[in-house]
Amino acid sequence: MATIFEKRRLRDFDWFLASLATLIVLFGTWQIYNAQPTANFWQKQLIGLGISLATMFVVAFTDYRKVVQYAPVFYAIGILLLIIVLIPGIGLKINGQRCWIGVPGIGQFQPSEFAKIPTILMLAHYFSKHQRGALRWKEIMVGIAILALPVALILLEPDAGSALTYFPLLAVVLFLSSIRMWLVIAALVLGLASVPTAYTVGVKTGFIKNYQQERIKVILDPESADRRGYGYHTWQSILTVGRGRLFGTLGETEYSQSRLKFLPEPHTDFIFAVTAETTGFVGSMALLIAYALFLSRLFFNARRAPDRAGMLVIAALASGIVFQIFINVGMVLGLLPVIGVPLPLMSAGVSSVLATFMGIGFAISVRMRRFVN
Amino acid sequence: MKFFEDDSQNLRARLAAVQIIALVLLAVLGGRLYFLQIVRGSYYAERAENQRIRLLPIPAPRGVIMDRYGRVIVDSRPIYNVILSREDVQGKDLSALIEPLSRGLKIDADILRERFEQMRTMPAFESVRIKENATPADIAWVEAHKLEFPELRVEQQPQRQYPPNGLLAHVVGYVGEISPKQLEDPKYKEKGYKPGDIIGQEGVEAIYDEYLRGRDGYRRVVVDSRGHIRAVLEEVPPQPGQDMVLTIDLDLQRKAEEQLAQMPSKRGVIIAMDPNSGEILAMASYPTFDPNLFSQRITTREGRAEYAALLRDPQHPLYNRAIRGRYPPGSTWKIPMAVAGLEQGAITVEHSRLLCGGGIQIGNKFTRCMGNHGTPDLRTAIMKSCDGYFYRLGLKMGIEGIMRMVDEFEINKRTGVDLPHELRSWTPSPEFKARFNPRDPQWKEIDTVYASFGQVYEFVTPLALLRAIAAIGVGGKLYTPHLLKEFKPVREMGPFPARPAKTFDHPEPKIVPIRPEHHKLVVDGMWAVVNDAGTAARIRMAGFDIAGKTGTAQVVSLGKDVGKNKDHSWFVSYAPAYKPEVAVLALIENVGFGASYAAPAVRAVYDVYYEKTRGEPPPQQVALKR
Repeated sequence: MATIFEKRRLRDFDWFLASLATLIVLFGTWQIYNAQPTANFWQKQLIGLGISLATMFVVAFTDYRKVVQYAPVFYAIGILLLIIVLIPGIGLKINGQRCWIGVPGIGQFQPSEFAKIPTILMLAHYFSKHQRGALRWKEIMVGIAILALPVALILLEPDAGSALTYFPLLAVVLFLSSIRMWLVIAALVLGLASVPTAYTVGVKTGFIKNYQQERIKVILDPESADRRGYGYHTWQSILTVGRGRLFGTLGETEYSQSRLKFLPEPHTDFIFAVTAETTGFVGSMALLIAYALFLSRLFFNARRAPDRAGMLVIAALASGIVFQIFINVGMVLGLLPVIGVPLPLMSAGVSSVLATFMGIGFAISVRMRRFVN
Repeated sequence: MKFFEDDSQNLRARLAAVQIIALVLLAVLGGRLYFLQIVRGSYYAERAENQRIRLLPIPAPRGVIMDRYGRVIVDSRPIYNVILSREDVQGKDLSALIEPLSRGLKIDADILRERFEQMRTMPAFESVRIKENATPADIAWVEAHKLEFPELRVEQQPQRQYPPNGLLAHVVGYVGEISPKQLEDPKYKEKGYKPGDIIGQEGVEAIYDEYLRGRDGYRRVVVDSRGHIRAVLEEVPPQPGQDMVLTIDLDLQRKAEEQLAQMPSKRGVIIAMDPNSGEILAMASYPTFDPNLFSQRITTREGRAEYAALLRDPQHPLYNRAIRGRYPPGSTWKIPMAVAGLEQGAITVEHSRLLCGGGIQIGNKFTRCMGNHGTPDLRTAIMKSCDGYFYRLGLKMGIEGIMRMVDEFEINKRTGVDLPHELRSWTPSPEFKARFNPRDPQWKEIDTVYASFGQVYEFVTPLALLRAIAAIGVGGKLYTPHLLKEFKPVREMGPFPARPAKTFDHPEPKIVPIRPEHHKLVVDGMWAVVNDAGTAARIRMAGFDIAGKTGTAQVVSLGKDVGKNKDHSWFVSYAPAYKPEVAVLALIENVGFGASYAAPAVRAVYDVYYEKTRGEPPPQQVALKR
């Protein structure tokens, strides 16, 4: 009996999603190698992939409904980690940000990456109870509160980039919990209108710092920006991408932009530039298409979720990932200012890969229980 | 019941909307990617190329400078410089480097500070010279402190090496870094010089810079963002400059300088020239200087102090007196006067006698002669240097005749020697007097008397005078004095075309018409100066007939001519008298009578010439009379 059950589980396991994610990570590992062949980042990434796959299986075979049920506990743990990282001595300060926790013998990890999962679970936990009609104000307020707590703690690190990636989680959950359409439209209009206003006011009041202005200016006009100073990252990234042209510079990576150290952070934030340089338009388009397939598969699974909680988990996860892709690649392609956000499944960093695979684990867990009522 | 079926929430539509937004975002990224890589790809690729490819010059060695027999005078030798790579010190506190570097490499801390200051305005990949001419001890120190100061390295560069003791310094000149002012000058601009280039600044180094300088090679390298060289793509070796053969004979040159150094005032000029071509065999000007100061030490504090001292030196060691010193020619002036007197018909070969009278009375002023020579003929007048004779010859020629003489012998022009900064001599004319003496601008008879004995209205450069006398020696051919014998060819190298040999462009000599009988008479007089009872009889060389003329240029009026105000001593000559091979001039400043110092100095040069050409030691030596 148990074996039949297991067989059916294995058949229902989303091999497509898991394989696609694994392939993207392997492709990313190759790019990490291209960026810094002498450093051990690519080996670490492979070890990270191993750990992540194992974790994904464990999560996938766990019943997500139980987990959602105990979401407040996980949420509390996540919040606790975000508090611990702020304690000097435990939290490691790198580049002025205290966002790493050192674990003796293993290395270090980034709680802001992991806290995303409990936050998604908590949102799903709360909003799955809502069954009919439009959201009430009280529910919206609770949703905002669930999000505000981790975001506030991450801003204390301070890591604005990570904090930013939390917002789409709430937005999508509210949207899919039937927030009134006029509220959505009003938020969009208000948001679009407020950006230029906020910018002018911010510049006038000095709230937006000089270097932040420069980073924005370089997006608008990279040719005439301060290419040696604040515009350096964006300009070099654009050059790196452009240099790849159609087929990339494969075979002569020895003098690539990253190997000559023109491109900063090539193995993490700017891994997409490395991809574009070495594999050209063909390779980087292939990667974007792989992302599109991956995300479509997630939405496909969301549509087949047995309950609202499962659907919300997958949809929030997918929108979190697509948002992060857009912020990261947009920055690499000079569409958005420089914001330190890793590219999901590609950037070197075990925390990010592991957290993403945990999310995939939940998505698979939801899918495997689609016929079980 | 599926929760999706609840129409009140439009969940399917909402989920589809989220998915569409996600895919649209990815499509935007794809579009941007297309723009950057396909539309603008080659542009960005080129920009990326430009920031990684650098051309690093490889300095070319300058041509060697040799004497007429191929003996090397000026050479370039490789030296070692200690370099600070800037990319390694970016963000580092440079002031912390000053103390250990000035101690370890023995450099003045102020100079280091100055160079670090200059670094700020230079591009990042260029390195800064910390110390030129590093000693083996310095190199060892840099090697030993590789870990402490990884930004230091030792680099090789050719450096100009001039002979010691200032030998031939005024002729060869020196090289130095191109100055900011020169960089502005269109003359240099159009040749494409850049800051830091080493160019000829004086002497033949400056005049023939174009030939002496090599063509710099380069290395095309890949640099990373910090300017480290990661690969060498191409290396084009430099093409060395053309080797230069001077007309100078080092043996004569050494003897000339030695003579000047022995003189009581240690100031003066000796020039030896081939009267048949204008080739300068020796050109010594004293005091001299060390050109290595400019090529090697000028960037050090001591070097700058040395340079300032040279500029302040009242004896002007940097001056090439042969072309920049203007001296009254004294009695040497009588030789062109004699030739012109004959040619203009003021006197004739048959009737050349004029009264000496111990001097001449013009109005209420008596201008005296040094002796009383009766009524000498021209030969005697030259031999005895009779002033009274030439006062009267000058009056017969008139100022117009004297001016015509000056024009004929081009004494009022530059000689055209291939050296920079040659000055023009001043010669007598009513205009010159008006300028020279504005309180009494009218030209009078007495002025013509003055103009005829080389003391008041003429200030000539030694080279212009020698050129005129040498022309008389060869019967009236004024050659252009020059120092270039030949530039050796250089073969084609890589992108640099071959450079052909080059000799001096001999302009046609100017012909001064002198009738043979006139020529003979004047030469007879000059021969007698040395070989008969003349003023320089003590330097006579048996078997080598010198024709010459002494001169004593008054510096101040008679009676005050003692100590540093003593007269300048001249001797101008050629030999053999009737078939000239070599012309030699000496001017010794402030030593007194012409025969006492200048003539023996000239004789010493002839001794060397005699021994070289006749293959036997010269007849009886002459001791310097003190």
